[in-house]
Amino acid sequence: MSQIDTRPPRGRIEVDNFSLSYETIEGPVEAVSNTRIHVNPGEFVSIVGPSGCGKSTLLNAVAGFLKPTTGSVTVDGEAVNGPSAERGMVFQQYSLFPWKTVRANVEFGLKMRGIPSSQRERAARTLLGLAGLEAFEKHYPERLSGGMKQRVGIVRALATGPKVLLLDEPFGALDAQTRVIMQQILTNLWQRLKISVLFVTHDIDEAIFLSDRVYCMTARPGSIKAEIPIPLERPRQQSMMMSSEFLALRRGLMSLIREESLKAMGGEINELAMQGLSIDLHGHSLAEIL
Amino acid sequence: MSGPAALRSEEETMPAAVAVTDTESAHIAPAHEPPAFGALVLRWYRLNRERLRAIVVGALSLLTFLIVWHLLTKYRVVFFVRFTNVPSPLAVYESFTRAIHDPKFLMHILLSCRRIFIGFSLAALVGVPLGLIMGRYKLIHEVVFPVAEVLRPIPAIAWVPMAIMLWPSNEQSIVFITFLGSFFPILVNTLHGMSLVDPVLVRAAQCLGARERSIFREVYFPASLPHIFTGLTVGMGVAWVSLIAAEMISGQYGIGYFTWEAYSLVQYADIALGMIAIGVLGLGSSFLIRGGGRLVMPWRST
Repeated sequence: MSQIDTRPPRGRIEVDNFSLSYETIEGPVEAVSNTRIHVNPGEFVSIVGPSGCGKSTLLNAVAGFLKPTTGSVTVDGEAVNGPSAERGMVFQQYSLFPWKTVRANVEFGLKMRGIPSSQRERAARTLLGLAGLEAFEKHYPERLSGGMKQRVGIVRALATGPKVLLLDEPFGALDAQTRVIMQQILTNLWQRLKISVLFVTHDIDEAIFLSDRVYCMTARPGSIKAEIPIPLERPRQQSMMMSSEFLALRRGLMSLIREESLKAMGGEINELAMQGLSIDLHGHSLAEIL
Repeated sequence: MSGPAALRSEEETMPAAVAVTDTESAHIAPAHEPPAFGALVLRWYRLNRERLRAIVVGALSLLTFLIVWHLLTKYRVVFFVRFTNVPSPLAVYESFTRAIHDPKFLMHILLSCRRIFIGFSLAALVGVPLGLIMGRYKLIHEVVFPVAEVLRPIPAIAWVPMAIMLWPSNEQSIVFITFLGSFFPILVNTLHGMSLVDPVLVRAAQCLGARERSIFREVYFPASLPHIFTGLTVGMGVAWVSLIAAEMISGQYGIGYFTWEAYSLVQYADIALGMIAIGVLGLGSSFLIRGGGRLVMPWRST
């Protein structure tokens, strides 16, 4: 595993002039339009945006599952051309192989590379140790909690020593407490491995807490609305989420996203209606007032 | 988790990874003292009460069946159905004790088992790979599927005359009919399993550097296994149905032939014996498949 720890920083993601549209019977529908993002080697970058804005589409294009309609996606100057082990991916649905034990799941990428089994075993054990999962190496995924499953998912993606790690709302299905712990674990792993991370989420707190920079996307067709550097110092503590600096960032991002979410809803709910939602009930139940 | 307050304090003092294993592993493997033997038996009883009851009720139900059968035949009941010539359980038992020392009876059973083994194995060896390939390659699916759909509804028994024409020997045509009976359930279920493979798992494998062949071996095949085994179980059932029918029509030897011959020779006890033998063999073979499934899919047994 030492080659992972001492590797020189690499993994620069560049997405340039990127658009992607789907063919439908009514003609092409643009999901992402004219987008430009980059991730520097070793940087942690998040993409936030209203649901359906194409942030996952963008991530899937970096992973190589989708081809851009126009523009380019490159990693370290090489054009992305289909999925590969150079870009590790973590999915919201965990997507562990149910028929493989935890360790076999982690070993999978190394096995695909033809690495002998004793070496795979050692590597998998080391990584599982980093994620606090040694005791569960022989378990099948079905028996793990959501948080443990996702830790296996992250470690599995890291096992092949990818240049970049792509995460698609990885903690979206977890409860709030587990999510906080998972964020801490991901930060620890990232700092240790010095890997570039592109992280998609709709959780603003999560994006600020984890990232060096946050891209905020517009409603569909998605494009970059703002790029916000997060100057909070590291290592970050959970307590920072109460600091005025954090809250200021949060307020800024919140208002950006809110604008876009309202747009995404097609103007059905305007600002006035939103104000109407904060009805003062004066201690009565809503039914009584109505 | 042992409560939010405890969790928070752990987080601040320990590395997160350590804190998590402590709290989460407590869920799965709670450490407790080895309990006393009496308590262990009691706990085992409490955990297995349902299953014990099922066994007892099952045994009682079988016993009642035997008693009702005995009474119906003893008093030669005629009430819509006629039990006048039906052998009693005791008579069947008697012919059973005679039959197990009779090499001819054992040969009948052995021959039937051999036909099932060959016919069913061939069906599995052709059906499973064909289903896997059809599930993966659209063109092959488009070519094979229409033919399969036309042939599938034809009952294996309807193939008997055609089978006799097709194959030079009686033995081969019977095996062929057994093969046909089990082939379609195996093929259809394998295809169904392939269509349900989670595409995210395929993408996960691709992201880990898996190529086409590895994805087939490491994702599609294991993901389809539960349905393949459903197909094998159903296929085994249909294989027996087809075999017995074929043996009754065109056989010499075989347990189906034995049952039919008993009728022709007016040995009524042997009819019931043949039927029970078929039932037991069918049950045994589906047990074997279920056991095989458990062996091949350890992740599914809890």
